[in-house]
Amino acid sequence: MLEAKQLSKTYHGKQALKPTSFTVNKGDIFCLLGANGAGKTTTINLFLNFIQPSGGQALIDGKDVVKEPLETKKLLTYIPENLMLYPNLTGLENLEYFSGLANKKYPKEEFLRFLTEAGLQGDAHDKRISTYSKGMRQKVGIALALAKDAQVLLLDEPTSGLDPKASNEFSELLTKLSKKGVATLMATHDLFRAKETGTHIGMMREGSLVEQLTTDQINHTDLEKLYLKHMN
Amino acid sequence: MILKIALKELKEIVREGRFRITAITLFALLLAALFVSKSYYTSVNAQHSEAKKNARSEWVEQGQKNPHSAAHYGTYAFKPKYPLSLIDNGVDKYTGVSIYLEAHKRNEAQYAAAQDQTALSRFGDLTPDFVLIFIVPLFIILIGFNAFTRERESGTLRLLKSQGVSTWKLTMGKWLGIFLPVLLIAIPVYVLAALFLANIKDYGQFSLWALTLLFGVYLIYYAVFINITLFVSSLFKKSNLAFVTLLGIWMVSCLAMPKISTAIADKLYPYPTQVEFEEQIAADKKKGLDGHNPWNTEAKKLEEETLKKYGVDSVQQLPFNWDGFLMQEGEKHTADIYFKHYQLLKDTYVNQTNVYRSTAALSPFLPTRFLSMAICRTDYTSHWDFANAAENYRIELVGKMNGDMAANSKYGDWDYLADDKLWSSVPDFQYEPTSYTTVIRQNTSNLITLLAWLLLSFAALYGAVTQMKTI
Repeated sequence: MLEAKQLSKTYHGKQALKPTSFTVNKGDIFCLLGANGAGKTTTINLFLNFIQPSGGQALIDGKDVVKEPLETKKLLTYIPENLMLYPNLTGLENLEYFSGLANKKYPKEEFLRFLTEAGLQGDAHDKRISTYSKGMRQKVGIALALAKDAQVLLLDEPTSGLDPKASNEFSELLTKLSKKGVATLMATHDLFRAKETGTHIGMMREGSLVEQLTTDQINHTDLEKLYLKHMN
Repeated sequence: MILKIALKELKEIVREGRFRITAITLFALLLAALFVSKSYYTSVNAQHSEAKKNARSEWVEQGQKNPHSAAHYGTYAFKPKYPLSLIDNGVDKYTGVSIYLEAHKRNEAQYAAAQDQTALSRFGDLTPDFVLIFIVPLFIILIGFNAFTRERESGTLRLLKSQGVSTWKLTMGKWLGIFLPVLLIAIPVYVLAALFLANIKDYGQFSLWALTLLFGVYLIYYAVFINITLFVSSLFKKSNLAFVTLLGIWMVSCLAMPKISTAIADKLYPYPTQVEFEEQIAADKKKGLDGHNPWNTEAKKLEEETLKKYGVDSVQQLPFNWDGFLMQEGEKHTADIYFKHYQLLKDTYVNQTNVYRSTAALSPFLPTRFLSMAICRTDYTSHWDFANAAENYRIELVGKMNGDMAANSKYGDWDYLADDKLWSSVPDFQYEPTSYTTVIRQNTSNLITLLAWLLLSFAALYGAVTQMKTI
């Protein structure tokens, strides 16, 4: 579903991402691990076509994101570290608006159902976003993916700063979506969540993908050891 | 989709305190301006028709006198107050409202409103055009400066773009989101103005079409400002920078450019001072025929020619009163002199206007201002047209008086008296303003400039947003 083909990005002569290839299939949760500046966000931004690749291709469902920026975006939902919504609009209004931009129309009840399914309490639906906690906003992000019927999730450290319970809820939602066949690419620092939720793990260092493995190949302790080995 | 974006923008704008306060203030200002203008218009109009009636009855009832003395006695031409001056008072405040029409002399329009006002009025009156042309652009900037920068600063731009919305549609949505509140303020003003004008007695002068055209021009002007606002907002990363830049643009185009272009026009094509102008006319008059002085060289020459033409050897033998004839010839001569000098003045005016037209390319304010005044018939061109009509009427009136004297009295017979039969045979001064077709033809370049502003600013906006980087 998601494919990086020799994808690279150079900023002012510095290689933020060296030619990198990987694939994320339907139902996979591919977790990118690595220190800050390792190229995780760059990779996600390349899939979003927010930045232009210096080489290679980023493909979503076989389509090049540079050549078909609008088509490929129809398939994906993006949730950044801190999902920012319109503070003066309610959760429901934000969901309706952003879904509308993706040409998704539903009756109001359906939108409310998405919010509930994403784990947002009923009394919050009609409150303005300015009163929401970060965890609640991330849940609106999931509702957005549900409403959009997204086949691809691009997540940039979505659980950082969330309390363990919220983080756990978020992971459960990801698993639920993955069972529906959603391909997820997630940048994260949370080794524990990566092992628990992810199906695949990629470790990045200084712009290179130095390790790729599936989570059932390894246990928590070894994962941490491997990670530290690569980072040092 | 565009409408959906616009509605969301509106919802956000309305929920923000900033908008409510400015919109209410703006609306209140406009209403106040409209009411002030209306009461001013009604009182001036009442005075105008009163004065017109008085002047006519004074003329008709001046009693028995020599026709040439009647021409000296004279009458007044009053400049009509046009209904649309309710919206844009233009230069009316400075141009004077009545012209004294008398023999031998072309007078300037007098009694300008500005003469009666205190120094404080220099700072501008609260008129609808002030709000519509100066303040509304400021309002547009105020609600639109952060249209893109806010999304960028708060991070919603990334989410927007990740939803796969085309930037142009997003921009058009935002565009409408600013245009709709502006319309919401402009439409009630338009309707109120139409109601006021329709209820004013001399309805004949008012055309709804002209009012609509006027608002059309304003809306184009607002569209240009919305384009500029969104263009700037899409270029900057920070809202405060966008705001300061837009304020700068507003100041330059609405405050500085008009002054600069006036200064340039005055520098390139200066008007003569009143004294110079009068001296030049006096000098020319001296050289020529003097209707009141038969020993004047030109008068002698004319006498010889006329005698030869009629084959007689003294003015007494002419079939008409030589005095009347001579005075009318003198009148024609002075009229020519006035025509020549006013034509020179007009040339300067035309040259200055051309300077304004070329500087209009630098500020959308200028073509709008000129179109607005032209449509409201409160620009200098309208004043010129009125002054010319008054001068033609004066020439006709004086000619009729001298002609009557020449035809009905004997040479040297200054006791000949005419009465109100003659006075009332002179039609009352009726002034028909230039047709709108002519007004528009005169202002084609302003229209073109304004439309060019619209198209180019749209193109610039399109270019900027399609090149806009998400991060």
